[in-house]
Amino acid sequence: MSAGPATLPLELQAISVGVLLGFLVVVVHLVRRHKLSLRDSLLWLFSTALALVLMAFPMLLQRLAAALQVEVPSNAFFAMAFLYTLANLLVLTLGVSAGAVRARRLTQECALLRGEIEQLRIQIASKPKEKTET
Amino acid sequence: MRVLVVVPAHNEERNLPGVVESLRRHVPDWDVAVINDASTDRTSDVARELGVRVLDLPVNLGIGGAVQTGYLFARQGGYDAAVQFDGDGQHDASFLKALLAPLEAGSADLVIGSRFLQSAGFRSTWARRIGIRYLCWFLRLRCGARVTDPTSGMRAAGKRALDDFAAHYPSDYAEPESIALCIRKRFAIAEIPVCMLERRHGRSSIGSLRTLYYFVKVSLALLLLPPVTRQADQAASASERT
Repeated sequence: MSAGPATLPLELQAISVGVLLGFLVVVVHLVRRHKLSLRDSLLWLFSTALALVLMAFPMLLQRLAAALQVEVPSNAFFAMAFLYTLANLLVLTLGVSAGAVRARRLTQECALLRGEIEQLRIQIASKPKEKTET
Repeated sequence: MRVLVVVPAHNEERNLPGVVESLRRHVPDWDVAVINDASTDRTSDVARELGVRVLDLPVNLGIGGAVQTGYLFARQGGYDAAVQFDGDGQHDASFLKALLAPLEAGSADLVIGSRFLQSAGFRSTWARRIGIRYLCWFLRLRCGARVTDPTSGMRAAGKRALDDFAAHYPSDYAEPESIALCIRKRFAIAEIPVCMLERRHGRSSIGSLRTLYYFVKVSLALLLLPPVTRQADQAASASERT
């Protein structure tokens, strides 16, 4: 890096591209196996692809670094990595919240239906008796 | 007026018989539904033996989710009013008729039983009273609510509030937040003085360590109330005119 903040170290670039590609492959694999829904993995796919492009063409990262007034492109890279994680975590939490609301509603519905079934059982059990009496 | 008493209960097998007995004595013609919030003791069986309706939640939802189940049940059953009444024996059923009176008179949508309108009975610890003062102040500042006991779990909801609670109800520590939401919807809120008793068995659901979390959570909930939509505002003023 003594030659100035021109590009990322080649090793870092190679490792990042490798890791991101590996991650992308894992996500695609999980989606194809129906372990991860496409809907929930969209942001992962897009943000990982974007990170991959930035890593594969460090010129873009350099421009971004210049635009953000960051001197060293690798710092811009870390900032982007942080944002990438934050965005994905937020979307994940949104999903968890929505899931919790649904689970609550379903739990309540379940209790109401159980109560209704119980009531019907009692009605059915008492009906034949009425018939024999009349 | 068809009234449903909603009794949320979590591990209250020892308190429940007394609670149901006092309800039978003071309000014999009201229906009672015990919402068993996934108790690990015999709460569900005890309630059935007492001959009241029991709704068993398969998963513990906390007091807010349990109470909302009661409101859903009341809406489904076409009740005119739903009364929240704790299953831990702290509430005194002799005040229930008075609690319903403003609803019957049509002067309120939500009636709160307040411990602080009258100085008698068990009024909880000084620390908790300061906390309640703070909540009163916060509610008044945030949405102009003038209530003296915002954490009271003894409340009566008329048809309008009942339908609204069935659709939207905060999940935990719901009482202060639901008051704020009612005021946002321009529901009329009334308070009547009640006395509360000390718990006979077991521990309150709000422990000393959780108190801080409680106040932080409730304050944030009040701070972050949903925005008033123009539609809701128009609907509220339209129903006010009628």
